[in-house]
Amino acid sequence: MAVAAFAAAVLFAGCAQDAPQDTFQPKGPNARTIDDVQRPLFYVAGIVGLIVFAVIGYSIIRFKDRGQDMPEQTHGKTWLEVTLTVIPAVILAGVAIPTVAAVFDLDDKSNECVINVTGQQWWWEYDYSGTCGGVEITQPIVTSGELVIPADTPVLLRITSRDVIHSYWIPALNGKRDAVPGRLQTLRMEADEPGIYTGQCTEFCGLSHARMRQAAVALSTADFQTWVTNQLAAYVAPEAGTLAATGEGTFVNQCSRCHQVNGLVAADGTPVLAEPDLYVVAGAAPNLTNLMTRTAIAGWTFDLLTDACREQLWNASPEEFGSLYLQGVWMNSGPDATKPVCFAEATLRDWLRDPAAMKPNYASPDQVASTGGLTRGMPNLNLTEDQIDQLIAFLLERK
Amino acid sequence: MTTLELRSGDPSDSLVTPSAALGIFRRPLATTGWKSWVFTVDHKKLGIMYGAVAMFFFLLGGCEALLIRLQLAAPDNTVLSAGLYNEMFTMHATTMVFLFVMPMAAAFANYFLPLQVGARDVAFPRMNALGFWLFLFGGIFLNSSWVLGGAPDGGWFMYSPNSSALFSPSHGVDFWVLGLQITGIASLIGAINLIVTVINMRAPGMTLMRLPVFAWMQLVVQFLLLFAIPVITVALFLLSFQRNFGAAFFDVEQGADPLLWQHLFWIFGHPEVYILILPSFGIISEVIPTFARKPLFGYKFVVFSGAAIGFVGWGVWAHHMFASGLGPVSVAVFSVSTMLIAIPTGVKICNWTLTLWGGKLWFTTAMNFAIGTIVLFTIGGLSGVTHAAAPADTQQTDTYHIVAHFHYVIVGGAVMGLFAGFYYWWPKMFGKTLSERLGTWNFWLMFIGVNLTFGPMHILGMQGQPRRMVVWPDKLTGDGFFNLGFWNRVASVGSFTIATGVLLFVINVFRTARKTEKAPLDPWDARTLEWLTTSPPKEHNFDSIPTVHALDEFFHRKYEEVDAEGGSRLVKVKTAEEVQAELNAHPDEHMHLPSPSYWPILLAFSLPIITYGVIFNLMLSVFGAVILLLAAFGWVLEPSVAGHDEYDPPADSGDSTKELASVG
Repeated sequence: MAVAAFAAAVLFAGCAQDAPQDTFQPKGPNARTIDDVQRPLFYVAGIVGLIVFAVIGYSIIRFKDRGQDMPEQTHGKTWLEVTLTVIPAVILAGVAIPTVAAVFDLDDKSNECVINVTGQQWWWEYDYSGTCGGVEITQPIVTSGELVIPADTPVLLRITSRDVIHSYWIPALNGKRDAVPGRLQTLRMEADEPGIYTGQCTEFCGLSHARMRQAAVALSTADFQTWVTNQLAAYVAPEAGTLAATGEGTFVNQCSRCHQVNGLVAADGTPVLAEPDLYVVAGAAPNLTNLMTRTAIAGWTFDLLTDACREQLWNASPEEFGSLYLQGVWMNSGPDATKPVCFAEATLRDWLRDPAAMKPNYASPDQVASTGGLTRGMPNLNLTEDQIDQLIAFLLERK
Repeated sequence: MTTLELRSGDPSDSLVTPSAALGIFRRPLATTGWKSWVFTVDHKKLGIMYGAVAMFFFLLGGCEALLIRLQLAAPDNTVLSAGLYNEMFTMHATTMVFLFVMPMAAAFANYFLPLQVGARDVAFPRMNALGFWLFLFGGIFLNSSWVLGGAPDGGWFMYSPNSSALFSPSHGVDFWVLGLQITGIASLIGAINLIVTVINMRAPGMTLMRLPVFAWMQLVVQFLLLFAIPVITVALFLLSFQRNFGAAFFDVEQGADPLLWQHLFWIFGHPEVYILILPSFGIISEVIPTFARKPLFGYKFVVFSGAAIGFVGWGVWAHHMFASGLGPVSVAVFSVSTMLIAIPTGVKICNWTLTLWGGKLWFTTAMNFAIGTIVLFTIGGLSGVTHAAAPADTQQTDTYHIVAHFHYVIVGGAVMGLFAGFYYWWPKMFGKTLSERLGTWNFWLMFIGVNLTFGPMHILGMQGQPRRMVVWPDKLTGDGFFNLGFWNRVASVGSFTIATGVLLFVINVFRTARKTEKAPLDPWDARTLEWLTTSPPKEHNFDSIPTVHALDEFFHRKYEEVDAEGGSRLVKVKTAEEVQAELNAHPDEHMHLPSPSYWPILLAFSLPIITYGVIFNLMLSVFGAVILLLAAFGWVLEPSVAGHDEYDPPADSGDSTKELASVG
């Protein structure tokens, strides 16, 4: 059964539409290095298993008690023992050599782009600076959830954590690397083609471990340039008198203690700077400057895109992927639309109403008693429905 | 029954005992009723108690597993909350490892090691009793966390810093740390006890290379425990002091490196894997030769490969940390050493298979479980090789592929092996044979259930479903053959199939207990010394300690080569009854058996009081420490055996098994 499952897993891989995190479908050179080690291992294991089961099966049928004489009381044959020790040793030596080679290959740190990746309960932060795949990043970009990288470019992630141990994993592009507080560890990522590659935090990190996800988004160099330019674009305040303008005030009052929106200024003209270290155990909260360029929120768990639009994006060809992705929730909406058709508004609304109901956390007053008031996760701000309308209008313009 | 002194005719020949022991320092004398169990130091009674309590925890851990599988049967399911789910998988693993497989293996070791080496008890009987009570109280203490503010929720590996008071504010982790300290003491003293027993108390002629393989594997396990338990003890102390007394061993802000915990945990944790599996390797190495009617193929290779596993097992711990960021040199070294350990393991599988080859196979339930163990363990071993290769492991680690792997090893290997032991040794332990008909159903339900539950997990893992997640989202399931939703449901159905099999076993036990039919003396035509006595064995095990001439001594007393046409034939020349009568014709003089004692249970009882005190109020710890001290004094001051005059004189009838009643 399990052997059949093994064999089937190997043989059928690639036929139907497999789960997006299928580890047998590498989409980049690092994952391919792993696959080149992993796939033969499954074949070898499968064959050895079949041989062992054949011998056991034959013995069971052939040597069943049918009233035959007592068997010879043999204690073994040394030559056979030695042979059966040497054969696995040879097979394993054959496996060990490519394994060791792959270990060192994967440790190659040469790159054309370095991105800092920081885990905390229960989301990932990405921090860009310098040059990435030839694209100049003139000011730091801080984003979360989706790791946007140029396709066909070796990218080196420098991974750490602000609280407990997490693990960064995009199966289509590479294996896992733990994010360990106090350590800076590297992992190389490279995607052959534009597309979205999903992942999940894989080191158990507490209450909402299951809802700490991530994705890597690979874009063509031109699209990546567009993405960078957009991320660095100056803040555009909402038009006075609109719902979004009211929302800006609500945001400053309710959200900006923790969440940064770059370029936001208060009524008195002073820059609004988030101070999450005063409110959150990890000392960080997602930067929301370009929230609507991302396709999911809250540890990349809840889609900002409607199911249909998400499917459309995930299944897009490498050629059309970039242009769809860069529209974010405004996908399919046309240039003059006032309301984005792909926006899963109910998700964001529910989240603002009561985050802990969607993603368990430690943010209620009784839960933060032991941490001196610092939260892990977003507290329920008891927003009114009007305030939620305002905030959504404001956030929709963070694109 | 207590001190037994069999004398042959000479009434002046008596034991030297303190004549005026103070009342409370007398040894307890009860031979029946609850006192005969609570104060016993008899390795067989303790073995049965170990087994009964371990079985209870098996059912508890199994229920936890069923709840986990119910939760995962559907996407975004809500059977368990995230917090409860985390507690559930932490306790499922902790219970199964520390409170079921380890003590169940200890149950078999306790009961059968002395019998197999031809001894009358273990070397340190009171310590043996202490070990059992510590295990029981430690297990109760750990599980009391469910009702005292929440069970531990950091996973059985309890990685730092997620296990610190900041990130796991309930007392759950404290219960885990202190509970495992208590059961750790039990394992450690049990290990010392059994090592000394095997090394020093073997019957005449029982050289190490005539030791049954079960005894060999248990010996290796005890050495692994002896060196592994101190490592986890240290780690637990560090964590305990960090959580309760402000130490900072794993506090990153103060310069600590959380990987310290991982190294300590896995230096213990990997030998632990062999601690779990080797006893079952030993059991099936007894069962397979018995039912194949031929000796274990390559006895020496099996013994030495077991010892080799015991050694190499210390050099592979970092394969649990391939994603931790150890650097390529360490990763390469541990990758290769992990592959190395597949060689001795492969040797064992080959030898069991070759023992079947050419045999005269009798498919009892015990044999079915033993063959099932080989098959399922082989699958687990081979999937293990797929993640010995570190690059592949960085894809597989922390996914369901790993869950599939170690459940094939532990459920398919260790647990199925233990069940082989139940069916094989039940008539020896209780004098009644478990129903083979129920046993057949028990076996097939478990065998199919294991494949149905853990087989699909290979697919789930390779399709990218990570472990320890309370929910899996529908959008990441894919379509077609590998649809994660479908295989998750299959796994859930499988888990209930296993549960049904286990339920049948429990029913079988109760039905057998009510049965009056006695088991034959040698129901399986067995090969080793434990069958050279009554079923159940007398308190003193053997009337006369046998002198051993060969491996499989008991078999060779029954069978002889006789000349026949076309060469010699192996023929049964004596029945088990005849062999036993022959041995008992000259019972030993001076059988010294240890007397029961009040102190092990009291000493063991003081430890949970101390640990509750660490969590709730240190004054309680002081109170516990006083009890501990009193118990230790009582232990030291009690007479070494019950006074001779406290017993009726032994019966002088030919029936040397007659129990001796105490005088008032």
